[in-house]
Amino acid sequence: MGLELTLAWRNLWRHARRTWLTVGAMVFSNILLVFLISFQFGTYQLMIDNTLSLFTGHIQIQKPGYHQEPRLRDTLNDIQPLAQSMRAQVQGAEFSARAMGFALASSETRSYGVQVVGVQPESEAIVSSLPGLVTRGRYLQDDDTQAVVIGETLARNLKIQPGDELTLLGSGWDGSFAADILTVVGIFSVGVADLERLMIQMPLPRFQETFSLGNRGHSVVAKVNNFEAIPATVNRIQNLTASGLDHNKPLAVLDWNQLQPGLKQAIQTDMASSWFMYGILVILVAFSVMNTQLMSVLERTREFGIVLSLGLRAGRLSKLVMLETALMAGLGMVIGIALGVALTAVLTHTGFTYPGLEEMSQKFNLPGRMYPQLSPLSIILGPAIIFLGSLLAALYPALRVHWLKPVEAMGAV
Amino acid sequence: MRPIMLQCIFSIWLSLTGANTSLAAEAINTLDAKGIIESAMDHWRGVSSYSEMTMTIHRPSWQRSMSLRGWTQGKDNSLVRVTAPAKDVGNGTLILDQDMWTYSPKINRIIKVPSSMMGQSWMGSDFSNRDVARDDDILDEYTHTLLQTTQDDGFTVYHIEAIPHPTAAVVWGRQVIQVREDFVLLREDYYDQDDALVKSLVTKDIKTMGGRTVAARQRMSNIEKPEEWTEIIMETIDFDIDLNAQMFSLSNLRNPRQ
Repeated sequence: MGLELTLAWRNLWRHARRTWLTVGAMVFSNILLVFLISFQFGTYQLMIDNTLSLFTGHIQIQKPGYHQEPRLRDTLNDIQPLAQSMRAQVQGAEFSARAMGFALASSETRSYGVQVVGVQPESEAIVSSLPGLVTRGRYLQDDDTQAVVIGETLARNLKIQPGDELTLLGSGWDGSFAADILTVVGIFSVGVADLERLMIQMPLPRFQETFSLGNRGHSVVAKVNNFEAIPATVNRIQNLTASGLDHNKPLAVLDWNQLQPGLKQAIQTDMASSWFMYGILVILVAFSVMNTQLMSVLERTREFGIVLSLGLRAGRLSKLVMLETALMAGLGMVIGIALGVALTAVLTHTGFTYPGLEEMSQKFNLPGRMYPQLSPLSIILGPAIIFLGSLLAALYPALRVHWLKPVEAMGAV
Repeated sequence: MRPIMLQCIFSIWLSLTGANTSLAAEAINTLDAKGIIESAMDHWRGVSSYSEMTMTIHRPSWQRSMSLRGWTQGKDNSLVRVTAPAKDVGNGTLILDQDMWTYSPKINRIIKVPSSMMGQSWMGSDFSNRDVARDDDILDEYTHTLLQTTQDDGFTVYHIEAIPHPTAAVVWGRQVIQVREDFVLLREDYYDQDDALVKSLVTKDIKTMGGRTVAARQRMSNIEKPEEWTEIIMETIDFDIDLNAQMFSLSNLRNPRQ
């Protein structure tokens, strides 16, 4: 083995320029893969975190069917006590109760249809990031009575400022008229156009009064501290709600993927298209390796003929060719990873952006500047595939040795 | 642009306009399909009315009734006010041409209903705001064909198909309207663009009130959800009464003077 290794290493440098060119292609691909995969993994987690923490949360407890078709009538009873008992019994997660309705919101001069959300201000601030994104005025407080926070776009459309009055008109739970006058205490700017244009939040008790809901509500939102613990928490909630709270049966416990199927789909679509691109990259590198090794085998036809006629088994020559490829690919991998990690590590600190990124990011509530996340998997995944692809590509040149006939081969030019 | 000519409370006035039977029957023979609808509406136009109604909204798990009072003048002006239950007394809707305002005493505010809300339900019923603020799109934006005539209770019933013009911004694929020879509207079916029946307004009871033959009970029901319907029962109605122009004003919507 030692001899073969030495031979393979020396063979590589018989054509130093050719070897460097092939290694160069590998290095380039590896840098690209290390960077892109780190970037992707970082983005996906950020995308999930930011999108969910804004409003949806990780888990929601609702009446079955409410998520598919939200109707004011489809309520859970005793929504505040339900949230309270969840807080007491489920560890590692925060809970907040909500009620939701639709109303016509009017200022002095204008009217728009909006989604009204009744929230528990203090726990809402723990489960969602929206309360922290109030840019003017303040968010709701637990002792607020007729306060409301609205989105930036809606404030502009209605031409109102913090301190102004907002009138709500809609239908209550019992079909009666729901009407209220609230004071705008804050305006939020979250970067998601629909929320800023359509959503307003008011204190839950006031909402229940205005919409004649009594003690009812529409969902209990949960945010878990550890993302990995979501399935376990869903189970725990299901067990708890199945045993007690019989006047609320049945309950639907939905995780984030059921609540926002579009998010996972967006990630999967993005993954699929990038894997397609990576696949092309790997295939190109593999062909370049195959080309190099085929050349290197063909030009040694005479040499191989001689050693074969001296009694060397073709298998050992194939092994030699594979060993050469492995050394070359190994070199490409080491240099590629080193440079790729260096580049990515720098960008991890400085961040980067490109034209159009900001618009795209806004859709998923991401920052305009991106920071890739290095992880062992994101570092090794791409280069490992390139390495394996190279070995696979070298199989054909290596196995060609078996078809050589020593006498004819010796006569080859 | 008012795409849908849906049936509504106010459409009852369309059916209310059925006047003297023999006179109408004589006239209707000379009318084409459009003319039947048009003359039914012409009867209603320029005529003022005052009515008291009960509207019942039915859902699988609950049901609710409201008492309403309504005034109309011509085809453009309407005012409806809630008189019961106590919780909702004083809520009102004013329609001037195609504009709609709503008033709620709870907040003492008049709010203009924006066009984006016209598709929303009116007072929680199966009628949309647009149904209520209807205009005569059914005449101008549709092509009318007399499908057939049938006999019902000794009356001739005209089945008229109305298909919106290709350029009309209408959500319906077609509507089929059944008008009795005395101009009482018996039934109106709404088909979507795939020609599936979506909802129907059916006259359940016909009476003589205020000197005219009128549809006394009408039900709007959702075909897919038969357990969801809204029924309007006409309690009393008077025609050709004197209404002053002030009746249909924002200040009267807020502070009733009658």
